[in-house]
Amino acid sequence: MRLHPFRLVEPESVRDAIDALQQLDGEARLVAGGTALIAMIRLGLVKPDRLISLHRVRELRQIRVDNGWLELGAMATHAEIERSRPVRTGWPLLAEAVHRVATPAIRTSGTIGGNLAYAEAASDPAPALLCLNAEVVVAGRGGIRTVPVSRFFRSFYEAALDPAEIVTAVRVPPTPAGARGGYVKYTSRSEEDKPLVGVAALVVLDASGRCQDVRLALGGAAPTPIRTEGAERTLRGEALTDSAVRAAADVAAQQADPLTDLMGSADYRREMIRVWVRRLLMSLRDAGR
Amino acid sequence: MKLAFTLNGRPCDTATPDHWTVLDLLRDGLDLMGTKYGCGEGVCGTCTVLADGRPIRACLVLAAHVRGRAVVTVEGLETDGRLDPLQTAFAERGAAQCGYCTPGIMLAARALLTENPTPTEHEVREALSGNLCRCTGYTKIIEAVLAVAGSK
Repeated sequence: MRLHPFRLVEPESVRDAIDALQQLDGEARLVAGGTALIAMIRLGLVKPDRLISLHRVRELRQIRVDNGWLELGAMATHAEIERSRPVRTGWPLLAEAVHRVATPAIRTSGTIGGNLAYAEAASDPAPALLCLNAEVVVAGRGGIRTVPVSRFFRSFYEAALDPAEIVTAVRVPPTPAGARGGYVKYTSRSEEDKPLVGVAALVVLDASGRCQDVRLALGGAAPTPIRTEGAERTLRGEALTDSAVRAAADVAAQQADPLTDLMGSADYRREMIRVWVRRLLMSLRDAGR
Repeated sequence: MKLAFTLNGRPCDTATPDHWTVLDLLRDGLDLMGTKYGCGEGVCGTCTVLADGRPIRACLVLAAHVRGRAVVTVEGLETDGRLDPLQTAFAERGAAQCGYCTPGIMLAARALLTENPTPTEHEVREALSGNLCRCTGYTKIIEAVLAVAGSK
């Protein structure tokens, strides 16, 4: 079964890709790994006449550490990121979340830039990047701008990108010293499915076990991936006692605005947020014992 | 468009319509029928082939995107007429019934064993998590992969 026919444009630089986007003015779609877009074309959900492939843009493939910050080129694949030594040692929360994306074959092709630009609510990397206070680097005709991941998702499948803009990189500040992080992905059908809910957390505990820093983010819990500031506030300066953790999990579940779909109902999702926030925070607390 | 890549160890200079996937090119452009069309959406794993040693979904990857890369299909698993140990283990243990998923599963397993020659059962299950088999229940498949891992 063939795809709806399209012409493929293969620019070799970000500048040429932006020019192509501009010239084709809304007629073209960008393709990175294609794991989402080609499936959408196959299903007839979109029928673009042109695809602009970013595969030949070498400058987008790098994974490097610059001044303590991790910089992932937008075309870095999940497989490359999960295997990257700097990522595994310096940003283990990100390596863990990226490792949970779909299946090995999807991770070979899927890219971090494509994942974010697709703005899937149930993204695995997004909650980890939210906890890490990452930034998205976006290039357009006017130059380059940087958007915090927390402001990058506008709504359901909609990123804060203008039509002639391209995600070029994701920049991640250093993981705080002494941080414990974790990502749990709960699926309701099979293990490699999209998360029904995904929970990422990062905590820094002081000598008496109180939260100096606490960050909590959810996927599949709202039209976009979200940070749960309300739940974070209830824990700041507090020890992760069972009752404090339960209270924070309740706040996270209340703040969530989940959807009903084939994977589960909104009520079920809310309940699973409560369960998995609680379990993750308790496991981070107990990891140090 | 013109397209040059390495296919089963040999240079392949060919041409492809822009909108063809790797699967379209293999089956309809190059007459290699070992790679199967399953769901077409990247879910079932029957079309799995290797690109630079890693598994890809041939139904989701554009043909243009393997330019310059080394692609291996099930036809390329044997060397000089000798079956890959995985093929022998699958045959000996009856790890195939209808056989439709088998090429994809063997390539996913080959990628795992090349990167990690001594995987645990959990690692085998994880590596095959994207390959659906509706006949066997996976037991013999996993046994076959572990048998090859243990024999090295």
